[in-house]
Amino acid sequence: MNELLTIRGLTVKFYTYDGVVQALDNLDLDIKQKETFGLVGETGCGKTLTALSILRLISPPGRIESGSIYFNADSGDKPIDLLAISEEEIRAIRGSKISMIFQEPSAALNPVYTIGDQVSEVILLHRRQELVNKAIETVTASLAGRNSFVNILANPIRLAERSLYQKIAQNPHSLWPRIVGRIPLVRRLLQRLKDEAKKMAISMLKEVEIPDSERVARQYPHQLSGGMEQRAVIAMALACSPKFLIADEPTTSLDVTIQDQILELLHRLKSERESSVLYITHDLGVAAQICDRIGVMYAGSLCEIARVDDLYANPLHPYTKALLAAVPKPGEEPHAIGGIVPDPLELPSGCRFHPRCSRAIGICREHVPPMHELAPGHFIACHNYQGETGGSSC
Amino acid sequence: MELRAYIVRRLLLIIPVLFGVTLLIFALLQLFSPVERVALYVTNPRQFASVADMIAKYGLDQPVWVQYGHWINQIFHGNLGWSTVVSQPVTSAMLNFLPATLELAIFATPLIIFGGIFLGSKAAAHKDKAIDHATRLGAIVGWSLPTFWLGLMLLMVFYGLFTGLLPPERLSTEMNILVHSESFTQYTGLHFLDAILNGNGRVLLDSLRHLVLPVMTLTIVSMAFIMRLMRSSMLEALGKGYILTARAKGLDENTVVSKHARRNALIPVLTVSGYIFAGLVNGVVITETIFNYKGLGWWTWQSAVNLDISGILAFALFNGVLFVFTNLVVDLLYARIDPRVRLGGKVT
Amino acid sequence: MTGLRFILYQLRKNPLSIIGIAILLTFIIIAIFAPIIAPPPEGHIDPYMIPRDGYSPVPKPPSEEHIFGTTQGQYDIFYGVIWGTRSAFRVGLIVIGVVLVVGIVLGSIAGYFGGIIDEIIMRVTDIFMAFPALILAMAITVALGPSLNSVIIALIVVSWPSYARLIRGDILAVREENYVEAARGIGGSHFRIITRHILPNSIYPTLIMASLDIGAVVLSAAALSFLGLGAPEGYVDWGQMISFSRNWIVGPPGNPLAYWYTVTIPGLFILLFVLGWNLLGDAFRDILDPRLSRK
Repeated sequence: MNELLTIRGLTVKFYTYDGVVQALDNLDLDIKQKETFGLVGETGCGKTLTALSILRLISPPGRIESGSIYFNADSGDKPIDLLAISEEEIRAIRGSKISMIFQEPSAALNPVYTIGDQVSEVILLHRRQELVNKAIETVTASLAGRNSFVNILANPIRLAERSLYQKIAQNPHSLWPRIVGRIPLVRRLLQRLKDEAKKMAISMLKEVEIPDSERVARQYPHQLSGGMEQRAVIAMALACSPKFLIADEPTTSLDVTIQDQILELLHRLKSERESSVLYITHDLGVAAQICDRIGVMYAGSLCEIARVDDLYANPLHPYTKALLAAVPKPGEEPHAIGGIVPDPLELPSGCRFHPRCSRAIGICREHVPPMHELAPGHFIACHNYQGETGGSSC
Repeated sequence: MELRAYIVRRLLLIIPVLFGVTLLIFALLQLFSPVERVALYVTNPRQFASVADMIAKYGLDQPVWVQYGHWINQIFHGNLGWSTVVSQPVTSAMLNFLPATLELAIFATPLIIFGGIFLGSKAAAHKDKAIDHATRLGAIVGWSLPTFWLGLMLLMVFYGLFTGLLPPERLSTEMNILVHSESFTQYTGLHFLDAILNGNGRVLLDSLRHLVLPVMTLTIVSMAFIMRLMRSSMLEALGKGYILTARAKGLDENTVVSKHARRNALIPVLTVSGYIFAGLVNGVVITETIFNYKGLGWWTWQSAVNLDISGILAFALFNGVLFVFTNLVVDLLYARIDPRVRLGGKVT
Repeated sequence: MTGLRFILYQLRKNPLSIIGIAILLTFIIIAIFAPIIAPPPEGHIDPYMIPRDGYSPVPKPPSEEHIFGTTQGQYDIFYGVIWGTRSAFRVGLIVIGVVLVVGIVLGSIAGYFGGIIDEIIMRVTDIFMAFPALILAMAITVALGPSLNSVIIALIVVSWPSYARLIRGDILAVREENYVEAARGIGGSHFRIITRHILPNSIYPTLIMASLDIGAVVLSAAALSFLGLGAPEGYVDWGQMISFSRNWIVGPPGNPLAYWYTVTIPGLFILLFVLGWNLLGDAFRDILDPRLSRK
């Protein structure tokens, strides 16, 4: 199966005092394996909501009204509908199979815990089996040590530790270890797990190119620069090798030079791990740099989806064309898009873009244009292209 | 290190404040006539006979700064004057009454802090649901209650209506005699603790019975305050970005709230705990008065009503100093808990 | 949404605040129409002293003559609580009024000028705030001689520091704003800048907090009167009335709640009065906090 994620008919509404906001309208989207998909659009068009819906992180007054999101977790198994599974199941997926990084790294990190703690947290949560096995190994090794005085005192403790770890290995939810974990002094028996996790966390920090990662692991978020913080956030997200990473404008709040570094990093990590990335941004330039395919969104719906070269060379949707034209080029006058983004409470009927569209025709006001594949891999939702295949008509 | 410098700075700042505290008390002192002020220098009642000599000796009719010097000198020698109300030197009176008040504080403080924090977080975690509205209503009513009225009502119901169930004062007459007799050793002066140490179950039960109502009166108002603060502080923490991150990591809601939100939410509550202590001292005066519970608060009230200035001023001074040090401890704790204060500044 | 509509929506959403407003309005009406609701009897000289119907120390239960009964010394409870509303408003408004003025002046000076002036004023507030409020108030009332006016003065002395600090904080926040720079740029005098530019923007939260502290002030005043340090015996003061009831908490055996009205009724008035202010305060706090209200 080539598709990693298949979104069908996703509809999200917000129930506010002023009325019901149709934030996402019947969204369809496919993301393939090992690809970087860019989701582009103006602020407020619903890009972040799409991302949050995948992980079911939408909170009231927002609600996922309908739709399905099929996730192809392991190539062998059947894809699961993320919107239909239980709370427990989706929590197992969050952070381990699908991860997300956000725009403001300083807001994403908890100020009262160290970097190391926060990265270890996700490792302890999702890679428990590995940790337990490692712990059993090390404790067995230390049990086999020489018959020294220290060992005679320590061995009973180590035996207790090992039996705890073995219990966890058999059943992750086993009762005894959970009880022990809550009692203040006794819970040191489980310390090995934390130590292993910390080691893994530090090596993860190294991977995201944080220098002196051991020291940084002991530091708090406010002691790091923005770029470092974002790297730490990436480390947190990739610690459990997810198959799918959602990046919501990760570089928007960073300096341009740092931005490049982070993009570079993401690109490298993604190819090394063979995962897919959903990259959300309002910056067309950045999207062109790293994405394989791009989807353009406007006011809660997708307008156009195409491979990156196709889109920039041959934009079809009037909105895409307007966006590209609005990018300031040296020596030219900037062309802003006429009109303003619609009030989400009072969306235009039919095609959302029609009030600002230079090519709007009668039908645009009546019906929402369906998305259809004009050329291989090039999808468009616009009445101007209905019933056509191949080529463009301008 | 940042922290060390911070501690030193804070300690240095205390000195002018303490000085100011003594100044304020001294200023209040000046509102009384020299004759009345003699009481502050007296160590035994016979000295009242030679008032004129006392005035001359302590320069009570001399310029203000000379008087201040004498007065501070007295204080540092441990002489806070004579409490006519209980016919003892003030210092020994305070030491005598301290254990009783301590008993109240020992029970009330954890109740206020932990009860308030617990209820506040529950209310925040279930915002706008039944338990939230109930806790909020309880908190607002609790915060509006006149402490003294609450105490009286409680007394009326639990002592009057349920005859003698939860009585005022510290111990029943019988037990009181026992406690002051040969067969009972008062190690600490805190009756419930001494009862345990003496292995005497009857005294323990009696003492606890007498403690219920005063502790309740003391706790309710302050707990309401902490509850409200914790609730709003939790709600603020729950709205922050790192909560979304925690959820996106796959943590269950319980952990998100207790591990990530709560620690951040506790910070403002900690800052306020100094004021809670002040509230407790206020409450103690009223509570002990109502229940005839002979502790520091009761003694202060007696002093105030009988216009015994050495008593009331000594208590005020004592509180001022105590409060300054409590705030220092709170500030240091705060610096320890919030790494932003402790470590400060960017490194990488 | 316009500001007013939003406020009304928030208030509607929050039924407790409606109750608070209703309570306060009721008290205002009672205070204004006190002479009509509880007219002083013929020949009674000072309407602010409760009329006595005899001298017996034993309180009498509610009857036709005395709607809420009488307390120790035969003071009419109904009269006391109705006129007590006036005392409550008087204490609350005077204390808060003066505290606001003092707080605004000192806080503005500290916040605006900064530097050593700020340090000094802050140290002074530290000193005053080092005392638990009631204790300091007690000491002051003793020093000045117990009376309701002493209570008012004591509460003013005890309350002004927190307001000075509050305003200072607001001013510090606003001081660096652009429009202040602009005002300075065109050469406004300090006074003008403070009053015309800084204060209007920073003062609303403080004004609201102040108006809501009226409840807390009344509570403290009642406590002081209860302890015998405030209003003289027989004055129309809720706290003072409750101090009368101390001896009558427990009635004769067989009817322990015989004198409930001496404690419960004045206390209920205090509770409701403070509750009204607190409910209103809670509502305003929720409104002013954008994060909480925009959900």
